[in-house]
Amino acid sequence: MSIFEYNGSALIAMVGKNCFAIASDRRLGVQLQTIATDFQRIYKVHDRLFLGLSGLATDAQTLYQRLVFRHKLYQLREERDMKPETFASLVSAILYEKRFGPYFCQPVIAGLGDEDKPFICTMDSIGAKELAKDFVVAGTASESLYGACESMFRPDMEPEDLFETISQALLSSVDRDCLSGWGGHVYVVTPTEVKERILKGRMD
Amino acid sequence: MSQVAVEAPPKGGFSFDLCRRNGMLSKKGVPPPSYRKTGTTIVGLIFQDGVILGADTRATEGPIVCDKNCEKIHYMAPNIYCCGAGTAADTEAVTDMVSSQLQLHRYHTGRESRVVTALTLLKSHLFKYQGHVQAALVLGGVDANGPHLHTIYPHGSTDTLPFATMGSGSLAAMSVFESKYREGLTKEEGIKLVCEAICSGIFNDLGSGSNVDVCVITKGQKEYLRNHQLPNPRTYVSSKRFSFPKKTEVLLTRITPLKEMVEVIGGGDIMEE
Amino acid sequence: MTKQQANWSPYDNNGGSCVAIAGADYCVMAADTRMSSGYNILTREYSKICKLADKAVMASSGFQADVNALQKQLAAKHLTYQHQHNKQMSCPAMAQLLSNTLYYKRFFPYYAFNVLGGLDSEGKGCVFTYDAVGSYERVGYSSQGSGSTLIMPFLDNQLKSPSPLLLPAQDAVTPLSESEAVDLVKTVFASATERDIYTGDKLEIVVLNAGGIHREYMELRKD
Repeated sequence: MSIFEYNGSALIAMVGKNCFAIASDRRLGVQLQTIATDFQRIYKVHDRLFLGLSGLATDAQTLYQRLVFRHKLYQLREERDMKPETFASLVSAILYEKRFGPYFCQPVIAGLGDEDKPFICTMDSIGAKELAKDFVVAGTASESLYGACESMFRPDMEPEDLFETISQALLSSVDRDCLSGWGGHVYVVTPTEVKERILKGRMD
Repeated sequence: MSQVAVEAPPKGGFSFDLCRRNGMLSKKGVPPPSYRKTGTTIVGLIFQDGVILGADTRATEGPIVCDKNCEKIHYMAPNIYCCGAGTAADTEAVTDMVSSQLQLHRYHTGRESRVVTALTLLKSHLFKYQGHVQAALVLGGVDANGPHLHTIYPHGSTDTLPFATMGSGSLAAMSVFESKYREGLTKEEGIKLVCEAICSGIFNDLGSGSNVDVCVITKGQKEYLRNHQLPNPRTYVSSKRFSFPKKTEVLLTRITPLKEMVEVIGGGDIMEE
Repeated sequence: MTKQQANWSPYDNNGGSCVAIAGADYCVMAADTRMSSGYNILTREYSKICKLADKAVMASSGFQADVNALQKQLAAKHLTYQHQHNKQMSCPAMAQLLSNTLYYKRFFPYYAFNVLGGLDSEGKGCVFTYDAVGSYERVGYSSQGSGSTLIMPFLDNQLKSPSPLLLPAQDAVTPLSESEAVDLVKTVFASATERDIYTGDKLEIVVLNAGGIHREYMELRKD
């Protein structure tokens, strides 16, 4: 078993029209045993920037703390929030620093940049950035998610449409993955508001 | 130790903090993770007045395509570009690192970078890491000494060639070069040959796919032709929109309004001194 | 005693994906026509769909040498059956035969992942899905092969069949019309080809209905 499959996770981010959505499952497991069903995998970096961390939960939390620390230093020095592109480079640099002893963690970054342009990005555990225009996925359910998103995604969706699409993609994918599931956590971010929703899913 | 942990931003170089732990996990039978690779076909050739580089745009992780349109031709200097194959993070990092060293070198000397400088910096870095930094590169550029094309292997050895290929599709691409390359190609002929070589990689090697990127470098000039050819569009898009038979059930909704951006209205009085 | 392990495997994986959907009076079977080994494409025109009887069609991915041997084995058994009973085998009977044939090689299995589709005695569509050693189940739809993990979630989303534990038992067949099912199959294959390197080149669709067997093709990405 790969170490990425120890806790199990599913993460996904999608771009809509002047908005984006990021979603995760809520299960924390130790291999096949479920430990928690309200686990937070998506973190808010600032109002318009979100970070999802899949993979080994202990590394995800450590990495998150280091990233918050670096973001706060940036805010103190620059008196502004980080742009999503900048933040992605920071995450990439931090991961690549540990090239030969990596964090077992695959991040998904989603944010609104200048002029409310949505930005999404994912990386492997050593910081190889992948910038996509449509959707990015990560976690143990990533293959299922790729399939579901490829079939369901349409460009330029409105926020409500985007929410329905990302939720359906997430829920139908985690149902085919033993290591993730137990509902979903979805954030839809538009320039004016953040809508956070908790989804009901299969409890097995 | 605590001092080191707080020190930020770090001074650079790799950190080996987690190696002991990860080594312990490996020993207990947890296989080390796979990284994102660029299976890749990358090529380069010298034509009558410069160098042409080419690459496909597929990035894979095992049997899955994780990026359908990634950039494999990396910027090194205004007159030098470099195609990368191997572990995606390594090719990206090593070219970025060397390109900033070249920029600093240019500030210092006030002269155009030379291809051999980039070559030496790349190979010494790769040699230092004894093949553990998994980057196979095709480096091309035009400098004071004319056009240059080099290949660099992950262990740091290099070649200087009139035409070169690298990556999992290298054999497919090389077969095209070997049968059709000649000295003194024109720019159009060169681009056509590069595209043909990349396409043979795209269609015959499963590690390579999607589109063709081309970069033409001539004396004092360069043309980066991103997605020069798009030979693989999606073949079927359903005419009807799929609806979702079962609506999602929401347990809880929380709405956080975001602060309106304050607009600065121009035309007001100028502040007094 | 120096050598502990064989460094040669009798198996290879030739990739490819198969899908089957059962409807009220039809059955759609589909598979791509790429055969590959490692990073190489061996051929772009290899049919993974095999007609076993008038109303039973099998699509298989995995190791095509084993698949071929399996198809021959089934054809021989089917011929014997025809001689003994003077009729074609029904789809559910063929399903049981396939299961037995696979389990017969329990400890040196055929490396083949099959879906069997056809029409049952009432003319209703039926799909049977298998593992390599003969465990099988009658379902409303299924997918097998290298792209099955990508295809299955979307099929679930569109066609979710009722639980087999429900009482009274409900029909597993999908409510879709034949043309809708073909459209769905085309969509999932176009999607799987985008992301799975072993799926591509061409899609072969076989539709079984009261009118007989009808075949159509669609181009897929060739990279």
